[in-house]
Amino acid sequence: MARRTASPRRSILAEGFVLALLAATVVPLLYLLSVSLMGRGETVAGVLVTSDPQWSNWTQTLTDSTLPRAVVNSVAAATAGALVSLALALPGAWAVARFRTGGRTLGATLLSPWLLPPIVAVVPLLSLLRVLQLNNTLAGLALVYALVNVPVAVWLLEGFVRRLPVEIEEAARLDGAGTLRTLTAIVTPLLAPALVAVGIIVAILNYNEFLLATFLTQSAESQTVPVALSLFYGDRTPHFGKIAAASIIGVVPVFALAVLFQRWLVGGLTAGAHR
Amino acid sequence: MCRPSGRRSLAPSSATAVRPRRSLRISSRHQAWAHRALVAPSALAVLVLGAYPLAFLLAASISKSSLGAPFQAWVGTDNFETVLADADVVASLWRTAGYAVAVSVASVILGVASALALHRGTRSGSIVRTVLLLPLILPPVVVGTLWKLVFNPGGGLLATVLGAVGIDASGVAPLSSTTWALPAIGLADVWEWTPLVTLLVFAALLSQDDEVREAAQLDGAHGWALFRSITLPSIAGVVVAAFLIRLIIALKAFDLVFMMTSGGPGQSSTLTSYVIYQVALKEFDVGRAAAITLVLAVVVTLVTLPVVALTRRVQRDG
Repeated sequence: MARRTASPRRSILAEGFVLALLAATVVPLLYLLSVSLMGRGETVAGVLVTSDPQWSNWTQTLTDSTLPRAVVNSVAAATAGALVSLALALPGAWAVARFRTGGRTLGATLLSPWLLPPIVAVVPLLSLLRVLQLNNTLAGLALVYALVNVPVAVWLLEGFVRRLPVEIEEAARLDGAGTLRTLTAIVTPLLAPALVAVGIIVAILNYNEFLLATFLTQSAESQTVPVALSLFYGDRTPHFGKIAAASIIGVVPVFALAVLFQRWLVGGLTAGAHR
Repeated sequence: MCRPSGRRSLAPSSATAVRPRRSLRISSRHQAWAHRALVAPSALAVLVLGAYPLAFLLAASISKSSLGAPFQAWVGTDNFETVLADADVVASLWRTAGYAVAVSVASVILGVASALALHRGTRSGSIVRTVLLLPLILPPVVVGTLWKLVFNPGGGLLATVLGAVGIDASGVAPLSSTTWALPAIGLADVWEWTPLVTLLVFAALLSQDDEVREAAQLDGAHGWALFRSITLPSIAGVVVAAFLIRLIIALKAFDLVFMMTSGGPGQSSTLTSYVIYQVALKEFDVGRAAAITLVLAVVVTLVTLPVVALTRRVQRDG
């Protein structure tokens, strides 16, 4: 308290800055919401808020477009991919953080695929999925997502593993638990909150991913939300109102997830930077 | 910075357990193999996602390769010669590097300022923080759509607001201007990713040692001096790490270009990942695309290496 009253001027500056940030964040989002209710003419007429809300933009997008199907596809691919990523990454993160398996090199090498633009992997992965006969399938996309996010998941989980008190694992070992048993019966339950946090982050990354989805799943049945949204611009005269409505509908699942799990999400994102 | 190592910290407790020496050594060798097995799934993922694409690209870059039929004939360095002689490709590489550095610097400055303001201000409850995080969790495709609508020359938010304050907005169309298209994409990029920097730095500020700062304040340090000598050193490691992460994300930018300008007008907003997309999936010349990709990989390395070195130095000093 004393600190704050000591320099009230800077505090006001800080408050103002936060308000400006909130405005810069919210105004474009509200504008998207506003456009989603505009008729075709209004979107190019310089109107900020429509006088005649076109709820049909929303209902039509929900009833006769590819979007609802795409939402289901995206949720499925994102969830399956995230679960497999966690299963692959957890043992690795634990071994790297606790036993320094592979030394410093392995930790760095594991993250290296994340450094390169994903466009690098598109053509090779397309060939690989073709060989596995998984191209144009959601299963193939989920598999690719699972592998793509292993480096990020290992990196984030490592931070959480380091914060676990090592004594619990030592006690388990003295009681005769082997490596695998320590991992499944001791470490996994202790890391449950971390697994949820990292799982959410990875699932959101999957849900939002566009480049791989657009090339690996080209059939209408396997389209994900970003792909379906990108095609809304394909019409010769795109209807901005419907595009905005579709964007918001497509975003609802990730927004809901993020708002519900806000604290876990923040914890997960910051764990990686603190080692 | 003290990483607990399982084996080392186990030593005293194993000694108290009074086990015969030999069996301990056998079990530790057995354990090393068990640990390697634990890492195997992650390593496999990296092989499929890192080593395999790299090998594929190397092979494709020195052969005549189309999308349907890769590796048709050996062509040596032909692809690289074509690519490096292609002024459009070289220009896109410079553009990508400049773009990445510019948006990263903007994001980090804005992100650190936001984190400090949130830390000092009283309005930093969970609702404010959730709202500030929203751009981060939007699909980039939606971010692109959103800003395309804002910049829409006919009646977008920008044109309407400018018109309302009396500026003639009829000619304001950033996305169809060769000068403003890339900065407009950059603005959307900064809007989307700055919250990540804010979040990381804010967390670092929360975990800094209050006592040190209070002691410095008692000694008369305040304002800029306090920030410069107490706050900044305590968050420097995280700031540099956030800059590195931000730089890598910016070097990968594709979705925003695809959604907002398709690289235009002309080549003015064509970043290298978009060139690769055009060559590989529009012209189906996978050999040339592979060569561009490898050149891009070199550029990415050259741009990030100094920052990686800086990260190491700051984190060692800190």
